[in-house]
Amino acid sequence: MSLTDTPPLSSAAAGSAAPEERAAAPAPGRGAHGGVKGLFERHALLLLLVAVAVFFSVLPASADVFPTQENLSVLLGDRATVALLALSVILPLVCGYFDFSLGAIAATSSVLTAGLMSFHDLPLGLAMTAGIGVGVLVGAVNGLLVTRFGLNAFVTTLGMATLLGGLVQWYTGGQTILLGLDPRLAEFGSTTLLGIPQVVYVVAVVAALLWYLLAQTPFGRSLYAIGSNPRSAALVGIRVQRSVWSTFVLAGGIAGLVGVLSLARAGSATADPGTGLLFPALAAAFLGATAVRPGFFNVVGTLIGVLFVSVSVSGLTLAGADTWASPVFNGAALLVAVGLSSYLGRSRGVRTV
Amino acid sequence: MTQTTDPVANASTDAVLRVAGLTKRFGATLALDRAELELRPGTVHALVGGNGCGKSTTIKVLAGVHRADAGRIEVADQGWEAGHYDAKAGRAAGLRFVHQDLGLFPELSIAENFALDAGYPTGPGRRVRWGALQRRVAQLLAAYEIDADPRTPVAALRPAQRTLVAICRALQDSEADRQLVLVLDEPTATLPQHESAVLLDAVRRRADLGQTVLMVSHRMPEVLAVCDDFTVFRDGRTVAALVGRRPTERELVGHMTGTAPADAVDGGTTPAVPAHDADVVLAVHGLHGGPLRGVDLEVRRGEVVGVAGLVGSGRSSLLRTVFGEHAPGAGTVTVRGSGGAVAAVGGVRARMDAGVALVPEDRAGEAAFPELTIRDNLSAPVLRRYRRLRGMDRRRERADAAALVARYGVRTPSADAPLASLSGGNQQKVVLARWLQRDPALLLLDEPTQGVDVMSRADIYRTVREAAAGGCAVLVASSDLLELSTLCDRVLVLQDGRVAAEATGAQLTPDSLTALTQSSAGAPAGEPLGAPR
Repeated sequence: MSLTDTPPLSSAAAGSAAPEERAAAPAPGRGAHGGVKGLFERHALLLLLVAVAVFFSVLPASADVFPTQENLSVLLGDRATVALLALSVILPLVCGYFDFSLGAIAATSSVLTAGLMSFHDLPLGLAMTAGIGVGVLVGAVNGLLVTRFGLNAFVTTLGMATLLGGLVQWYTGGQTILLGLDPRLAEFGSTTLLGIPQVVYVVAVVAALLWYLLAQTPFGRSLYAIGSNPRSAALVGIRVQRSVWSTFVLAGGIAGLVGVLSLARAGSATADPGTGLLFPALAAAFLGATAVRPGFFNVVGTLIGVLFVSVSVSGLTLAGADTWASPVFNGAALLVAVGLSSYLGRSRGVRTV
Repeated sequence: MTQTTDPVANASTDAVLRVAGLTKRFGATLALDRAELELRPGTVHALVGGNGCGKSTTIKVLAGVHRADAGRIEVADQGWEAGHYDAKAGRAAGLRFVHQDLGLFPELSIAENFALDAGYPTGPGRRVRWGALQRRVAQLLAAYEIDADPRTPVAALRPAQRTLVAICRALQDSEADRQLVLVLDEPTATLPQHESAVLLDAVRRRADLGQTVLMVSHRMPEVLAVCDDFTVFRDGRTVAALVGRRPTERELVGHMTGTAPADAVDGGTTPAVPAHDADVVLAVHGLHGGPLRGVDLEVRRGEVVGVAGLVGSGRSSLLRTVFGEHAPGAGTVTVRGSGGAVAAVGGVRARMDAGVALVPEDRAGEAAFPELTIRDNLSAPVLRRYRRLRGMDRRRERADAAALVARYGVRTPSADAPLASLSGGNQQKVVLARWLQRDPALLLLDEPTQGVDVMSRADIYRTVREAAAGGCAVLVASSDLLELSTLCDRVLVLQDGRVAAEATGAQLTPDSLTALTQSSAGAPAGEPLGAPR
């Protein structure tokens, strides 16, 4: 069967990918990266993305709007924050740790940046630094609790997320911060460069840096080793605790940047706990772990994952699906992604449950 | 399953447990060869022998883990052909086991540990009757002279008390008219000396009250102090049954090793002891920490030194302390690396920089990255070698990995296959290659061929000898005395946290090493061995 004839079905096709690979699994060459099967496995998500995009471009209900430059621009701009958050999520995940607080960190950063300008008349640069800085700080605390004190990452970061959500409520008084913001920020968020929203370039730069860090430095490679077996990693001279801690710090900083970007994009900061941002990011990260380097969280796969979810949801919306379709699709995609990546069997899974 | 349980009258003696003609074959190995064992009621019976003599297999057959190929097992007044015996039958007839790991739940209370074994007493509506449970357990604890509250978590008990709780739990359904037989598998192996004494005292008192006990132990002074009868196994056979007579340690060890240890059969292949003026790579002086109580040793360039010793003697601790994973409580560890680098202090990374490498005992838990590729596994300690400004030099990394796979004979279609796809032996070759590519000055091997097939084992021995020939100093800890005698230039025997003896040259035979590790005095019967250092 030729790969280009993949039936253009969105979520159904994701489901049908599993039997394809189940057939491949018992073969002796399992895990060898060569061969048509391995090639298909690595690019299945990308093919699916193309298929979904083609489908909505052809479907009469969405064909008028979906394949236009305006829609693409809106889609990319709107999903930039999710993409960036997904990138931050994979950092601790590579080491085998869940950070559930990243959405809340983004919300905190957003509210703090807005609040400092609005309530305290601080200049934009200082407010942004504070927003990103609070992310780094919370990440450092999370990392310390998880590594030095050995607390369960899932529970610790869930607790941190709840706590931050409460602080956001307190700081804003439940109100949206709209006035007194530096207009340059909203301007940056709403203008395009070469037809693409400027925020997308920020995501591209961060993604490139993270890709280099994870795939092209000894540090990044040792993070994958920690994710595979922390005891073995310690015995080949990897500083496990320090490395894990720095993934939490880095992830916190990126989540802080997500807060600033979402403020730029929306032009206001709402008293939102940030979970609405986290779940699509998680779905994208797990989807990404089925692609490019199957079984491992990776930057390129995560970006494809974000695009896949975004394109599908955007297409569904334009085709006239109700608002409930988007969370249903996100949830289903997450379930399929987790199922697939644990089926692929090379991921140790996440050490949280 | 058709059960041909035919309780037969026990004609000849009043033995409470009798094993006759027990034979068990694992592939080509005859683990048990018509072994015999007979327990008199109300006695503590020692089952002793060197490594691989078949005593563990016997216990596993009695526990129903293995099924014997032939023989007969009789417990109390019931008997089975060995092929029809299983765990359920043994339990019903009154066999109770306390294994080395005790099988307790440390976080739960003593009472709950008892209840999880025997069931919770329940009232109406399946409600747990905590009061009744606690009263019953308190009575049992009192009967066994265990000074503890039933609500105490097991983890809070002293080690000897924990073992006693396990024993008490195993015997909790004992009744006046029903004889249970308690099987203790290496009960003192992980206990410090004073705790062992407490435990053995208690076991002795139970026996004086009529309890029959079968005890497997490596510690000769202990079995000699507490046991009434002795059965000695060698090569799967019963070579001595000493009933109601306490032998000397010499006599017992003599039975275990055979009267005359074979003369240096393979003396020709035993590697020559390297010259004394060769550089001392590792010097350990007065090392304390964990089970170690003042270890002194030196390893020179090109030398393969073995470390033998019973479970709990501190073999692994010694290696891990030398690798810098544990800080020593007292004493010094000096490593003179290849470039003359001296490391006296520091953790794992400092030791690695000085040229020390460790292949740990637990490959799956501490050495492998199972879902990463063989290449990733190989490059883990040398990632910095491949760092370039434009990223990792994958081409060179691939070439290095392919070369290592070829050189060390790892059987795999590709170095890009996940490590988990390899057999245990090939995984171990990868772990060895991982370290040997760094040209270590000192290679520490902990049970290097555990779970490794025969072919890979030969490859690994050759690799280690080659590394030594290239100037590497090697320290091997192993429970396999055949391995130590094949691989090493000399073997140090650890006992009570010290180097108690050293074997060289013609003494490097499994039998002599068995004698040295089993004997408390260091020098066994009949054979003048190397003077303790």
